[in-house]
Amino acid sequence: MTIGSILTDMVKIFIKYWDVFVLQGIMYTLLLAAIAVLCGTVIGALLAFGRMSRFKVLRAIIIAFVEVMRGTPALLQLYVGYFLVPMLIPDMNTMPSQLMAFICVAVALTFNTAAYVSEIIRSGIEAVDKGQTEAARSLGLNNSTTMVSIVLPQAVKNILPALGNEFITDIKQTSLASTFFVGELMTSYKTVVGITYNSLSTLFVIGVLYFIMNLILSKGLKFAEKRMKAHA
Amino acid sequence: MLEIKNIYKYFGSHQVLKGISTEIEHGQVVSVIGASGSGKSTLLRCMNLLEHPTFGEVWMEGKLLTPVDPYLHFDVIRASKTYSKLISEGMSDDDAIAKIKKEDLLHEKYNAEGKKYRALMKKIYDENHIDINIARQKMGMVFQQFNLFNNKSVIENIMLAPVKIGIAEYRAAVRRNNRIRLSNVFRKDKKPLIGLPDDPSAVKLKAEENARALLKRIGLSDTANQYPSTLSGGQKQRIAIARALAMNPDVMLFDEPTSALDPEMVGEVLDLINDLVKSGMTCVIVTHEMGFAREVSDRVLFIDGGVIAEQGTPEQLFNNPQNPRAAEFLSKVLR
Repeated sequence: MTIGSILTDMVKIFIKYWDVFVLQGIMYTLLLAAIAVLCGTVIGALLAFGRMSRFKVLRAIIIAFVEVMRGTPALLQLYVGYFLVPMLIPDMNTMPSQLMAFICVAVALTFNTAAYVSEIIRSGIEAVDKGQTEAARSLGLNNSTTMVSIVLPQAVKNILPALGNEFITDIKQTSLASTFFVGELMTSYKTVVGITYNSLSTLFVIGVLYFIMNLILSKGLKFAEKRMKAHA
Repeated sequence: MLEIKNIYKYFGSHQVLKGISTEIEHGQVVSVIGASGSGKSTLLRCMNLLEHPTFGEVWMEGKLLTPVDPYLHFDVIRASKTYSKLISEGMSDDDAIAKIKKEDLLHEKYNAEGKKYRALMKKIYDENHIDINIARQKMGMVFQQFNLFNNKSVIENIMLAPVKIGIAEYRAAVRRNNRIRLSNVFRKDKKPLIGLPDDPSAVKLKAEENARALLKRIGLSDTANQYPSTLSGGQKQRIAIARALAMNPDVMLFDEPTSALDPEMVGEVLDLINDLVKSGMTCVIVTHEMGFAREVSDRVLFIDGGVIAEQGTPEQLFNNPQNPRAAEFLSKVLR
């Protein structure tokens, strides 16, 4: 088997099964990552504010949650989500199994992302110079106005780039969801290999697709970052 | 106008302030000098509660800013269970109070000191305290590191506090009126509505007018739409002073306003502060600029080891210091 034959096989496989890769694989991958990042950011923000609140018990619970999510493998968390979510919501068992798996995986990924995002947001807020808060408070502004008008707008500049990286991480992480055949890009690899029996070439095809997705994303992020710095 | 009573400040087990009391009169200019790490800045930050004193009280215009410190009120001490226990053991009134103060017997035993004690503490607090945010509006603060809001242009920096606070006041008044209207539905004798302050657009207009006037006063009108990152240190500090002035404060607190400046920019900032002093503003200035302190102050405090080691008029303190530490410090810096 030569490099040339792998390349021609890759092209052939892509042309024949592009709908499985693109329409199904990439679409589900992006959908899963987008759900995880969007919902994860909302939950992560709540966790971050909870962690900075003055309620000790709440703080302790959130710290424990974040440490557990960061200290266990994502695949394990997906498995837990896969079995735990249908147990908590029994109605889900009436759904088509692929949809159910997709929701379970999305929930698990969301909470995984939320843990990481909460740390990103917390460190982004804490990185804002304390003097900014002190100056605002010394003028008689209350805590929440200070947060909303002074601290958060500056924290966003620290947070957004790291959040973009989290999106890239999530796109790669969705490949773990293929364990449950939810239809994302890695699942389409399994589907196509089942027909062609050509593992290496198919792997290279989806590898290239993952790479292109993340390349576009990271370039876009860099551009956005530059724009933001220019306005600082 | 600003009175601090027996301020102690601990950072963990490290004692920074060890019992400082002083009063700043209306229109007075007080300079605070002393070696680095002597607690000057901490003292200033305790005045507007950016640092909360561990013990002691801060009063402004007869209003209490800190929680009640039981040791400063004899009647509170006398109401405590610890006191009555000591008295029943045969101690005299003076001795018992002295012992309680010295050994910090009331600290963190709020609930164990009895109902009378708690009621008295609460009564003193309720009668005298004022919300710290309202008090801070009347206390301008200028920082060593300027601390201009990086995400706001110069004019927005100056307008921010008056606009936000003005709008908040307007909304609070509207809410109060709504409550009165609702309660009037069920009343025979209707309560009158309260007058509304400026509405948001008027607040903004006034704040902008005021901000432009302030910028003109400090000679930086052309920087109105620039961002702080494009300005020099001296310009930043002058704008920081204008920002504090925008709230029409009764007293200005300066925390080493020239220490982070390049030498050629110190003059412009000191000139501005001097202008303020001449206009009759009450000022507390923590500074290393001895010449300036001598020139503008009515009173100079020399802080050493967390206490006021010596205080007096600039002539007294600079020409004839009585405290040996003050003499040593001044001989070093006045060379």
